[in-house]
Amino acid sequence: MKSEIVNWAVILLVVSLVFYGLDHLVMLMQGLPLNLDLTPVQ
Amino acid sequence: MLFAFALYSFASSNNGAININWANPVNSAQANDVIPADSATNIPSTTTPAVTANQTPQFVAPKLKRSDYPRLKGGIRSRSLVWIDAQMHLFFGALVLAVPIFVLVIELIGVKTGDARYDDMAHEFMRISLTAYAITALFGGTLALALFLLYPGLMNYLMQVFGAQMMVYAVLFFLESMTLYIYYYGWDALRYGNKKWLHLSIGLLLNGVGTTLMVLANSWVTFTMAPSGVNEVGAVVGDIWAIMKGPLWNPINLHRFIANIAFGGAVVGAYAAYKFLAAKTQEQRAHYDWMGYTSNFIAILAFLPLPFAGYWLMAEIYAYSQQMGITAMGGILAWLFIVQAVLIGTILLAGNYYLWSGMSRTEGSLRYQGSIKYIAVTLVICFLVWVTPHTLILTAPEIAALGGSHHNILGPLGIMPAKNIAVNLMLIATFLSFQLYRRSNKVATVSWEKTGNIILVAIYLVAVVNIMFAGVYYGYFTNTVYKVGSSVMQVVSTLVVIVSGIVIDSLMFKKAKILPSSWGKVSNRSQYALFALPVAFTWLMALMGYVRSSVRTHWHVYTIVKDNSPDNFIPTIGYAGNMMTIVTVLFLLFVLFIFWIASLATTKQPPLALGESA
Repeated sequence: MKSEIVNWAVILLVVSLVFYGLDHLVMLMQGLPLNLDLTPVQ
Repeated sequence: MLFAFALYSFASSNNGAININWANPVNSAQANDVIPADSATNIPSTTTPAVTANQTPQFVAPKLKRSDYPRLKGGIRSRSLVWIDAQMHLFFGALVLAVPIFVLVIELIGVKTGDARYDDMAHEFMRISLTAYAITALFGGTLALALFLLYPGLMNYLMQVFGAQMMVYAVLFFLESMTLYIYYYGWDALRYGNKKWLHLSIGLLLNGVGTTLMVLANSWVTFTMAPSGVNEVGAVVGDIWAIMKGPLWNPINLHRFIANIAFGGAVVGAYAAYKFLAAKTQEQRAHYDWMGYTSNFIAILAFLPLPFAGYWLMAEIYAYSQQMGITAMGGILAWLFIVQAVLIGTILLAGNYYLWSGMSRTEGSLRYQGSIKYIAVTLVICFLVWVTPHTLILTAPEIAALGGSHHNILGPLGIMPAKNIAVNLMLIATFLSFQLYRRSNKVATVSWEKTGNIILVAIYLVAVVNIMFAGVYYGYFTNTVYKVGSSVMQVVSTLVVIVSGIVIDSLMFKKAKILPSSWGKVSNRSQYALFALPVAFTWLMALMGYVRSSVRTHWHVYTIVKDNSPDNFIPTIGYAGNMMTIVTVLFLLFVLFIFWIASLATTKQPPLALGESA
């Protein structure tokens, strides 16, 4: 049970990081950079 | 249509001889008979003296007068006639070009799996395409005649601009006809061994030619919307590539390519439903059930990326001309996007309903049936958000009662950020239905099944949160540039779900235990969902065709050739609605005719008994 919760937490964290990175990449490619907290730089 | 173009190209050249300079085919083909425009009218004329040696042969866009448009008797409007003809040609053209694309894929699957059912199904799909091909050509021919008769000034200009390219189109049309007939009639003669690969190659050639035909014809359309390769007076300043490769060409090419496949899948799905409901034996029901499932699979799979292609097209329209974009989405035509939402919602609900009904084919689906209600609720909520209009047509007392023209709750749901969230979530929900359906007859045997499912659920969850975050935060709390840019973020999230879902499931169920499926054991109700798809698709194409064409407002060729015909205005929505309905009903009647012909081809009358009269 415990290992399953850890599994869920780790996977959710990794997937969230992937999407976070994608958000930065997609906006940067359009010339719309984001701050670390995802607010617009401009 | 191409016959008329070819004939016209031939007739308009000097003595029928055309000297083509492929570097600049327009000017070279017209060098002998195209001369500067008449100074008073700017209308190119073949009766004015030839240019002198040191002048560059040129022609400019005509300035058409009301008298340049022949009128039809009996109160028939030229635009209405051309509208119906063009739309019918496009419907059938889309069907004829799309069907061979997925037929080739199905045939290849048949070769790879060695399952003859794929081959038979692909052959049967082609029978529909073959009948539709003749009707496509008939509507194309009458469309060309109508255009040349009713809009001679415009067509004269377009012929001069595109010149030799029309001849290429004509040649390709012959090649398309030949490869289509060989592909269909050679099916049984080239069925096994190396000959099968020859047959597949012919299919590939057929699709190559068909797609090239489509992109050539698309360049005529996009030239009228966003002309390129010409200067401000319409004189050609670039080569044929400069003319074809306008800013809207590739967005339209992609959008039509995908949409055609979705449309073709929907139409052949209706054929399968028609045959399923008319089936007399269980074997026939099983065959047409499977055929209907495959068609729905094609239609929905092609439909999923379509909104993104449409989004790209609209973004390019805005980039080319903000005025044109606002005409489409900010003015009276904006209401049509609400109608579009209703139609797309119908497509998604029908497609999902068919998948849920199809789960009854296998007992393995019991594992997933509890999820269906959540998907249905998501679809309905998103659908309602999508159809919420931004502005309402209100009386003065109603505005006073509301406190303004925008409702304080519904108003924010009427703008693009809310609709972008809704569209993306509907696509994700549809993909989930699709994924559950695909899993319903399989039991995974891999050791990492649990971890794989956790990854998949996490991707769904994070993608949904990301889409909602991007829509709400950038859509309502940042500037417009970030609002528009964040829609790409949402699209990427949806695509990540789709791609990762396909990849994970492919790996997880590679060596899965397959549960028995009972093809033919599906409700008749589900077949009506298959009928709903082509009806909604056809109406949608008619609707958005009207929008695309109307954004040119009072121009035949935007900013180059002004429309001075009696119809040089955007028709009212009511009138356009009637026209769309007419073409949709007309197309569906023709489709029923095609289904009947396709069935007739396989019907054999039993021999008469001795002494029995016919």
